[in-house]
Amino acid sequence: MFREKLGRLALLAPFMGPGTLLIAFFYCVPVVLTLLIAFTDMGRTLQWHFIGWANFAKLFGVGARDPIVPRVITNTLVYVAGALPLTVIGGLLLAILSMRVHRGAGLFFRTVFFIPRAVPPVVWGFLWAWAFEGTPYGLFNGIRTAMGLPVVHWLIRYPMLIVILANGFLGISLAMLVFSSAIASIPRDLTRAAEVDGASEWQVARYVIVPMLKWPILTMTAWHLMSFLNSYVYIMLITGGGPYYATEVWALYGYHSAFSYYRYGYGASVMSLLVIVNLVLLLVVVRAFGMRRMLIRGKIEV
Amino acid sequence: MKERWDRVLCYALLAIIAAPFLTMYVGFFLRAFGERMYLGILPKEFGFSNFRFLWEPIAWGLEQTTVWAALGNTLAFAITSGLVVTCICMLAGYALSRIEFRGKNFFLVLQLFLHAVPGQVLLIAVFFLLFYVKLLHKVPGVALARASLEIPLGIWMAKGFFDGIPWDVERSAMVDGCTRFQVWYRIFLPLVKPGIAAVFIWGFLFAWHDFIYAYTLLPGRVKLLSTLIQSLVATEVIDYGYLAALSLLYMLPPLLLFVFLQRALLRVPVFGGKGV
Repeated sequence: MFREKLGRLALLAPFMGPGTLLIAFFYCVPVVLTLLIAFTDMGRTLQWHFIGWANFAKLFGVGARDPIVPRVITNTLVYVAGALPLTVIGGLLLAILSMRVHRGAGLFFRTVFFIPRAVPPVVWGFLWAWAFEGTPYGLFNGIRTAMGLPVVHWLIRYPMLIVILANGFLGISLAMLVFSSAIASIPRDLTRAAEVDGASEWQVARYVIVPMLKWPILTMTAWHLMSFLNSYVYIMLITGGGPYYATEVWALYGYHSAFSYYRYGYGASVMSLLVIVNLVLLLVVVRAFGMRRMLIRGKIEV
Repeated sequence: MKERWDRVLCYALLAIIAAPFLTMYVGFFLRAFGERMYLGILPKEFGFSNFRFLWEPIAWGLEQTTVWAALGNTLAFAITSGLVVTCICMLAGYALSRIEFRGKNFFLVLQLFLHAVPGQVLLIAVFFLLFYVKLLHKVPGVALARASLEIPLGIWMAKGFFDGIPWDVERSAMVDGCTRFQVWYRIFLPLVKPGIAAVFIWGFLFAWHDFIYAYTLLPGRVKLLSTLIQSLVATEVIDYGYLAALSLLYMLPPLLLFVFLQRALLRVPVFGGKGV
């Protein structure tokens, strides 16, 4: 028995060993480490002492308060509340529209909307920073100047809107692709039958297509909820969290605390709350979707 | 008649939503190849002066580097990461596809979860891990950390490719006296060449596009193309034409790789029922 187990292990080790090690080292250890660093005062010198709950107390405004935190929380809520519906509804709309037009045109528009995900983050950030630059050298202000209109300081006046749009359209590009391949897999008979019964385009979309897409819509919503909560790279590239914390979201604040202000302990406590939120969300997803269903995905996956 | 109007409406809506993006993309190309812009948007003539980084050093602030140094770093970073992802995923994907063991389903679901948790959140801890194993500020070390982010989905991809190979192939090899590892190395690897190409592209592409890991974990003077472009955007005076041209160069290699490997990707092995 024991020998058999050992043989099995020897058989598996060369195949599963390297992957398991790397995943343990770069995923599992960092999760624990983040939670540990959160309880230290690690700073610029990388020296650390355990200081108990002090970081979290500061974060929640017990004793020494961090005046930025309420602002960051509001920003995060506004950001997610803006970008998530934009992604799901926009992705659905574009998928339905692009499946309704001619094949070639549909492909063209899907390519246009997929480009955000195909270009590197830095280039996408640069495109937005350039397009909404507050001088005539920026793209849209250049066009405005050419038309004789005054320059608008987009990134100063509407920073949150721009961040939401830039990230929302990134989400849209994935959601649109998933939804349109799901729509393509709906048997034509169903939509035909509805059309024969006198349903309008809108009714077909509302009562036939959307209910059939329940599963992809749920997956994409859960996926992008986590993605928007965790992601800060694009915000960092477009506005850098500014002007004056106007677009500083929770994850970005954690990053800035650690790597801009060199308060690693405090940054880790910000991030560890995010890690906990992630774990809770994952549990909810598992409860809602079921473990088995997660394994049998496909069919509607791209 | 009604149907036609519906279709026109579809086109109109799509065009309206796409218009700002098309303007951005077209403007980007015009800016890269245009010289002496007219009204800031339309070029008066076309030329390659924006591509002068190909023969001149690139300077930002008081520092400077060449595009070739950055390109070399990015290549080293992306290829290391791609190779690590390929090796690990091809090994694990085989085991997950062919060998039964306890905790297999758990492992597969775990990979999905890990893929859902972006590595950016764990960056502080990764910073210290690399610091303690003395790999911080070194391209291979950071590439290893970056590679681990793509392993979860890479494993699923590799497993999918192995799943597509009939059991008979393996059984006949084992009957002929191959060990598991020989089966993997001699029989399976040649059969899943498209899978190898796909997984490699996966690892390579994300490392090539990576910004945050390189920006945080590599020292400021070791520039990848991504961090180089970012530091040029962050300077006071921004030459947008120059940056657009540099971005084009940055986006070219993945495209070339894809074109080259497309043949491998399309060359899926065809199985008859017998005599493989």
